[in-house]
Order: sequence, then C-alpha cells, then structure tokens
Amino acid sequence: MKDLPQAVFVVDDDDAVRDSLKLLLKSAGISSEVFASAQEFLAVYDAAQPGCLVLDVRMPGMSGLEMQHELNLRGAMIPVIFITGHGDIPMAVEAMQHGAFDFLQKPFRDVELLDRVHRALARDTETRARLRHTDRIRERLASLSPREREVLDLVTQGKANKMVAGDLGVSQRTVEIHRAHVMQKMEAGSLAELVRMMMAVAP
Amino acid sequence: MVTPSPEVLALLEATFDAVVIMDDRGRIQAFNAAAEEMFGYRAADALGRNVSMLMTGNDRLQHDNHLKRYLADGEARILGKGRDVRVRHRDGSEFSVFLSVGLIPNTAPPQFVGFLHDTSLRRKALATLEKERQLNRLYLDLAQVMLVATNRDGVVQLVNQRAIRVLGKLEARIVGQNWIDSCVAPQDRTAARNAFRTLLLGSNDQPQSCEYHVRSADGENRFITWRGVALRDPANVTTGVMLSGEDITDQRRAESEAHKALERMNSVARLATMGEMAAGISHELNQPLAAIANYGQACVRMLRLPKPDMPEISGALEQISVQALRAGEIIRRIRSLVRNEDVRRESQHINDLIREVHALLASDARVHDGKLALDLAEPLPKVTVDGVQIQQVLMNLVHNAFEAQATEKRGDRLTPDRNSATFEVRIATRPTDGGDVEVSVSDFGPGLERDAEQKIFEPFFTTKATGTGLGLAISRSIIKAHDARLGYRANQPRGACFYFVLPAHQETAR
Repeated sequence: MKDLPQAVFVVDDDDAVRDSLKLLLKSAGISSEVFASAQEFLAVYDAAQPGCLVLDVRMPGMSGLEMQHELNLRGAMIPVIFITGHGDIPMAVEAMQHGAFDFLQKPFRDVELLDRVHRALARDTETRARLRHTDRIRERLASLSPREREVLDLVTQGKANKMVAGDLGVSQRTVEIHRAHVMQKMEAGSLAELVRMMMAVAP
Repeated sequence: MVTPSPEVLALLEATFDAVVIMDDRGRIQAFNAAAEEMFGYRAADALGRNVSMLMTGNDRLQHDNHLKRYLADGEARILGKGRDVRVRHRDGSEFSVFLSVGLIPNTAPPQFVGFLHDTSLRRKALATLEKERQLNRLYLDLAQVMLVATNRDGVVQLVNQRAIRVLGKLEARIVGQNWIDSCVAPQDRTAARNAFRTLLLGSNDQPQSCEYHVRSADGENRFITWRGVALRDPANVTTGVMLSGEDITDQRRAESEAHKALERMNSVARLATMGEMAAGISHELNQPLAAIANYGQACVRMLRLPKPDMPEISGALEQISVQALRAGEIIRRIRSLVRNEDVRRESQHINDLIREVHALLASDARVHDGKLALDLAEPLPKVTVDGVQIQQVLMNLVHNAFEAQATEKRGDRLTPDRNSATFEVRIATRPTDGGDVEVSVSDFGPGLERDAEQKIFEPFFTTKATGTGLGLAISRSIIKAHDARLGYRANQPRGACFYFVLPAHQETAR
C-alpha cells in the first residue's frame, strides 16, 4: 500500500485568520490547504488522506464541533486541533470527548500551534502505521488452515506441543509440522512475536 | 289650702324642674307642669294627696315620721341641703332625681317646697355629650393622617393618636407646647412659621398645603405633607389653625428605592444583554488579534531564512496594520454601545445609527449561524433621538430575533446541508405616510403565539429558557421616552416583526 504525503488542512471562515495561518505554517516549512467552511472541506476530504486538521469552532453553516461529529461518522481518524476565538470549558470538554487532539484559544503563539501540528502529524503517522500493521496480521491469520489456527490459539495460550497434541488428539509430530507452518505464514520469528501479534489484533 | 299668687304660678310653670309644695302634714299643695311630666300625675289628681306617694323605699315609709320629728324638734335632715333620691312614677317605675327642699317662710302651719331635678336626664345628656366627644376623638384617632390643632399663638390644643405615634411623644408633651418650636425639625422651622402665618392672615377658607419635616422624640426627621385651615369663631375671628399631615417619609423612601431598583434592573438587563453578547464580541475581537499574531510570527520566521521573500513579508506586515485597525474599530463600536453617558438627544440619521451597530450585530448573527440584512430607505428625514439608546433597542430586538429562530431550529442541529439562507434577520427603515420614520426588525422564526403577544412587553415575561424578561420591557420604555410606541405585528410570510415610528425632526426635515 502506497502512502499519500501528509497534509495540513485549515478550516476557518475568517479570511484574515485563514490567510495568516497558511503563511505561518508556510514560514515553518509546512504547506497547507485552507477552506472557508466545513462544507467546503467535507466535499473534498478523503479519509485515506493522512495529515491533520486545524479547525475553527465557530463558523456559520456548520460549526467545527458539528464537523468533527461528521468526520467521526465517516470513520475519519484525522487528528483535529480546534482553534477558537471564545472558548468555554463545556465546549472544550465536548470537543475532547469526541476525540479532539487539542484545543487552542486565539490568539496563540506560533510555537504552540506548530508544536501541536507536528505532534498531530506524528500521531497520525503512528495511528496509520499501527492500523496497517494490524491489517497485515489479519491478512496472515486469514491464510491459516482451520487446524493451523487451532494450533496457534493453543500455543499462544502457552501450551507445549505435547499438550496441544493431547488436546487435538493428534501426534506430537503433526503438531510440530502445523506449528512450523503457522510461524512461516505469520512471519513470526519467535513465539513471543506471535503472541504480540495476537495481542495487537485482539478485540 | 293656700292658692299661690299669679307670679308664683307663672314661675312654677316656667321652670324646668318639678316643683311640689306640701303642707305640714305632707299633703301636696302645688304640683307644677314639670312635676306632672316627671311623675305622670295630673296636678288635680296629686293635690291633697300625701307626697310620700312619689317616694320609694325607706323615704316613702319614714316621710311622715321625719316630718313630725322636724316639726317637733326642728332637726333638719334634708332641708336646705339637697340630695339624690329615688322617686316613683305613677306607672310604678323608679328613677333618680336631685331633690332640694326649702321651708316657705311666713307660713303657719309651715309649708315646704321641693325642687326635683331629673338627674337621670342630665346624666343621659352628659353621657350623650361624652359619647359624642369620644366619637369625635375616635374619628380623630382613626384618621390615618396626623391632626394637630393650635391656637393663634401656635400652642397645640389637640393632637390625635396618629400624630402622637409619628412624633413618638406623650400627648401631654405635645399639647400646651408651641407646635413649631417643639415638634418641627429645626431646619424647617422658618418655612413652617411662614406657612402658619399665611394661614392665620389668609382670608379665604381654602386649605393651604405645605411640606416640612417634624422631629420625633428619638431625633428622627419624618417628612410630612400638610394641609391646614384657619379655625374661626362665630364672629369670624381666627382662633387658631387645624393641620392635617400625611407622613410620606416611607413613601418617598420607597419611591427612591423603586427608582434605584429600576436603575439596577436596567443595568442588569444591559449586563445580561452584554453578557450574552460577550461571546460574540470576544470572538469577533480575537479574530483580528489571531491574524495579527500569526502574520507577525510568520514574518519573524521568514526574516530568519537565508533568502527572505520580501514581497510576502511586506504583504503580511500590511495585513497586520489592516487587522489592527479592524480590532480598533470593533473596540470603538463596543465602547460607544456600553458607555454610560447621559441621555443626549441629537438630530441624526437613523440609517447611520443602524449601520453603526451593524458590525456588532453581525457578530451576533455569526454566533447564531445567521445573516443580518439591512433594508434602509434613502433619503429619510432626520430624527431626534438618543443614539446609544436606540442602538440598544436594536441590539435587543435583533438578538431576540436570532434567539427565536435558533430555538426553533434546535431539532436539526447536525444536518450539515441545512439551508441557512432563511436564517435571517432584517432591519428596515421606511418613511411613513405622515412623514415620520418607521424602523422595523423582522425575522422568519416561529413568530409569537397570541398568548405571548399580550405579554411580551411585561417585565419578567420571557419565552427564552435563559431570558431575563427585561429586554423588551426596557426597549419599550426607551421607545416610549422618544414619544413613540414599540409595536408587534406578524411578519409575512412568517416570523415576528417589531417596529417603532420615530417622529421626524421638524426643522431639518428634508
């Protein structure tokens, strides 16, 4: 799977704020795409696009909080940095409860914003990598035969080959062969690695 | 039997008292008309009979003996003294009289005359008189006003309970004292003296009014409004004055309290309006500030680059100036709205006032995801108004309009594609047929229910969950102070419309 380059999106209805944010990000070497309304952004946003979002809370038409809700419904996990001209605590609490990355009050210092943008981008990269990792584990699990899956479940419970053979009513030798296939298909170098993989995809 | 002389008879008939003459054996010799009236016997029936028939109890039994003893030894038991006795009417009823008995000189055998004065009647009269006095006293004391009567010299002759209570002094400390010197507050004595003199010298009987403080026993001044009349005797000589006074201290205090409360209410309502708008204002102000901070910080970063992009930096610096001016403008508008200046009426263009508040109202619109439209007729005659007050009314009406629509909308909050074009408030001006200026604020919200239509202008009535219920009441009083009326009508096709008509400024109408 090929990674798209990261992008910073700015959504604010105030022309001056939007324009100055773009310039500030640019001065820090970060290119950004700006939008004057939530609707404008939602119309073009693709959830597969990695990056982060700088979002104004108070906007005509659809507020920042409403847009966050809409993104959640779409399963978009892009980190959202809220900016607001008049923040109150209930508003901030609501935003954080719905998974906001951070909450900044206008006006803010450049380092505050840039630091959060950098961290949000790093978080997004991590999240996406983690998701890619678990996706791969699930693919490998799907390639196992039913018998191989049974063996995997028993060995990751900590059972020795002899016990697994007893449980399944087969010879110890047969278990050893299945186990070798499991390690190969799961691309696991050790039992410990196999256990970690199973924990990563555990529900 | 001796027949009295005509003079004596005339005298007997003329006197109010009953007169009975008897001889030495107690036989009635004369019985006047008053006696007939008192005892119910006609003189003809009484003459010759024993006087004891008019007596009761022991007197009746002992009278003959007393008479005999007197005649024997001259011991007078009653003669020349007079006493209260019980007597008997012909019908058997008994009553009290004051009896005085005298020996008629030069009579032999001696004759006696008895004068019987009906004390029960006198007592009755006295009682009636007393009752009347008490009733009068009751009238005086029941009166909710202070009543004070003085003689010509200002010495108090009479004072009622109300006055006694207000003054907090014993009646004895008031009556007999000079009214002005003893009861009027020192600073008001000259005024009270002048009013008193006017009353005494005045020729007409119209009550005169004046107001001054009295000082109570505990040193408290009470403010009294007085009405006074001169008292005159039958010869129309002024004998003194009667004053009726109402203690209006508490009333004045209450009035001033009410006035203060209203002022407080006004400022609370203004604060509430401003509080509701504070979010919008701070949001509005923080936008240019955020832009300035961003531009400035971007400039610093860009200048640190090996090859700074000068045109871009210059553009950002220009934006900083623009945004700083924008912030200053917002502050200027807010200040002109919240400063507490004295009422100043000036002849001005209403449209200018409306445009002036537009920026702040637009922020309110933004908060409510709405739009504020202006529909201003030109040219319009000038109006003489307090601009700040009219702007407050407009802010209040526009704010209400957005609230009304927002309340209606809350059902579909999260619908992203809702149509915000209908979420509009419109301020309109137009000339009326009479040449005046109508200002209206309309919305397309739910409008008013008939029930609410009746009550919206009442203080503390509100349809909003967090409303104070003061906005419209205050708006109306402001408009009323401008000789206009704040009215309501349904907006077409839907919604509410509040309007007022300001009289055109006369001289400069154009």
